[in-house]
Amino acid sequence: MLEILTQSPHFYDYVTAAVLLLGVFNVAEVLFLLWNKARVERSELKRQDLKRLASTALITATDPAELLPKPADEEDFAAYSEAIASVLDSFEGEIAVKAVGLISDLGIDEHYRRLARHRVWYKRGNAIDILSSFRLKANKEFFLAVFRSETSLDVRYRIIYGLSLLTREHSDIRALARMLSGLPYLTAKYTEDIFYNIITALKAAGNEAEFGIFMREIMHDGAVLNLVKRDCITACYAASCEKGRGLLMEYYAAFPEEPEILMAAVKALARIGDFSVMPAAIRHPDWRVRLAALKYAHLCCMDMIPEIRALLRDPNYHVRLNAALALAKSGEKGRAALREEAAGADAFAASTAAYALGQEAA
Amino acid sequence: MKFFLLWAAVHVSQYVLFLYFLAINSVYTALILLALRDIVRHAYLTTSRVSRRQLASEFYFKPVSVIVPAHNEAAVITQSVQALLNLHYPEFEVIVVNDGSTDDTLERLRLDFSLLPCAKPVRLQVPHEAIRGVYRSSVYRHLIVVDKFNGGKADAINAGINVSAYPIFCSIDADSLLEPDALLKSSKLFLEDDELIATGGIIRILNGCMVRDGAVTEIGLPRGFLEAMQVLEYTRAFLSGRTGWNALKSLLIISGAFGVFRKDMVVAVNGYRKTVGEDMDLVMRLHRHCRDRAIPYKILFVPDPVCWTQAPYSLRMLLKQRNRWHRGMIDALLTNREMILNRKYGATSLIGISYFVFVEFLGPLIELFGYLSIPVLYYFGLLSTKFLVMLVLLAVFWGISINIGAVFLDIYNFRRYNRTSDILRLCVLSAAEFFGYRQIMLLERLKATLTFRKKDWGTQDRRVFEKKGTAV
Repeated sequence: MLEILTQSPHFYDYVTAAVLLLGVFNVAEVLFLLWNKARVERSELKRQDLKRLASTALITATDPAELLPKPADEEDFAAYSEAIASVLDSFEGEIAVKAVGLISDLGIDEHYRRLARHRVWYKRGNAIDILSSFRLKANKEFFLAVFRSETSLDVRYRIIYGLSLLTREHSDIRALARMLSGLPYLTAKYTEDIFYNIITALKAAGNEAEFGIFMREIMHDGAVLNLVKRDCITACYAASCEKGRGLLMEYYAAFPEEPEILMAAVKALARIGDFSVMPAAIRHPDWRVRLAALKYAHLCCMDMIPEIRALLRDPNYHVRLNAALALAKSGEKGRAALREEAAGADAFAASTAAYALGQEAA
Repeated sequence: MKFFLLWAAVHVSQYVLFLYFLAINSVYTALILLALRDIVRHAYLTTSRVSRRQLASEFYFKPVSVIVPAHNEAAVITQSVQALLNLHYPEFEVIVVNDGSTDDTLERLRLDFSLLPCAKPVRLQVPHEAIRGVYRSSVYRHLIVVDKFNGGKADAINAGINVSAYPIFCSIDADSLLEPDALLKSSKLFLEDDELIATGGIIRILNGCMVRDGAVTEIGLPRGFLEAMQVLEYTRAFLSGRTGWNALKSLLIISGAFGVFRKDMVVAVNGYRKTVGEDMDLVMRLHRHCRDRAIPYKILFVPDPVCWTQAPYSLRMLLKQRNRWHRGMIDALLTNREMILNRKYGATSLIGISYFVFVEFLGPLIELFGYLSIPVLYYFGLLSTKFLVMLVLLAVFWGISINIGAVFLDIYNFRRYNRTSDILRLCVLSAAEFFGYRQIMLLERLKATLTFRKKDWGTQDRRVFEKKGTAV
């Protein structure tokens, strides 16, 4: 039986060693699990205590650093940074100033700056996330320096995210745009997040107009992806950028062949109450643009019922259905049109009209 | 000559068995190591503050249709739908598809959710049996119930896809409970990665847990041996298995109990196919579709969105379920046999599908051959006692290591089972599996191999989710 193996002088020694090793490993794993359970439970309690203590000290004490024990391990740093970030999110003025002071008094920024150069990429990423959550202006130069030497794309995206929270002026936006275009396009959500952060930071600094200047600059810049331009527009939508009305109209006019940009522009304009592009949008050859326009058509004060009614015969199912829903929401005139269609000979139009009327009645 | 052939066959088979034993255990060990790396990284990044804030943000999301196929689920349907209506998600619809139930599933839904007939036009994108009626709740505007003729689970999900309005859909079993943030966590991935076409979360066993108002409030290991053993099996299958396959870009199963898909891709492959293993079949066809057309895509398993499901509590039901799973797997492999050892399909074929063919499909046959041949060889003096003892010890200890490794992944990273007694029981079960349980499952898988052409699902008994704070 398996002579070549079993006749080898050390075969049984190796197998015995493997069995013993596995046995010891199994017992060690079980013991480790039990020890780890106890350790985690202890550290969770300690972490909660520290967070509570830090939050209370920041709100009540004049010099919180005097009251708080120095962080001794990773858990302590994590607890303090969470507490400080929460305070910074919720408070301004004196308490926020104390929280920022505490970051350096307890050596938290130093600790995470060290970790941001750790050899394991996800630890670096986590450190960048934590530093970002403090929104410290002083971290800007550090982020830029780390970005230059960073090799992991995941971490670089996180650094840009951190920098987007610190945007103050035009040069910051340009620098971020350059950094973004140096990396592969990630996702719409990520780019929108970045621009949303930029707009929010600029708004807070009273510099919202800077974003408009930036968008005008990139409008005809071939080096900037159309997807990025679209994400800028959707960020405007998310951040309710009211000053961008004219600019959004320009974008709508400048990209007649780009449905992604047109859809974003239609939505963003509708959000700020501008429906001037609606008549053109619901006649657009691309069904996605027609659909985007139909979602807001009922809010438009122009009489668009004939145009919407025509879309009940659209070749696209989604457009037909949303045209019916838009009519149902367009007051008595719209519902009358639906009733006529529901009794009409066109089966497609009749079924969608009946559905929309049923919805409205329910 | 005959004697020589017999001698040669015996020797070759010994080597095959031994090498197979080494290979299979090495694969499992490698999967655990890959999973450990992946899970630790995932846990590290998803617990960061920024990630949590992004998860909570409601600016960016894609609306989701949750499709619940239900056939004779009167006992659990109300609680299940109630739990789904309470999901934390900005915009979603719940579509319950009553698949020709012969009990009062539809009546329960009608009464409990005040259903009214609705003339929703249904777009026939994927095939299914005829729809008898579509209803909408007058209380919960985002609840739709579709009543159709019986056609099986795949058929019911197809009907749900046609009725659904949103670009992403989540299919979930009627006897399962989603954690409130499960949908948020899994659909978030579609925003973060444009190439993602399907994802699934972890399925955990509801038996032994406390349920209140459609949510799991206390987690515990079930008392029964069979149910507790399934906790171990699910932990191993999801945390070490699927996470490991994730790392190798060869994930072939997204559980039918909880999967989230991009609707356009599922429609492109003509929806679910009527089979007992519709979940694996769909994922394999998605791989095929994308590879054939050079579409960049990702199919991922994520370990933190949790779906709780009821596990069979009797041996009869458990065997029936395992038989069905094994038949489903064979059917999916046969239907997509073009993908077997085909370089065109890359790692999915050469690693993922090869594993299913050589380990999951052929494994039971080889294991049975081992169980039968070892006593014969021993009887004829072809196997020494020392070798036999060492081989058995090595097999059992290695197997226990793999099981405890999976328990370790779960307890260390997710800490769902927090009682010391539960942890110790899981470790004991890791050893107990090799003495009877594994062999019974093996026989059922062999039975399924022989009867793989059978298409029946059989019925599963359900327990009511909650009895005022008592454990399920």
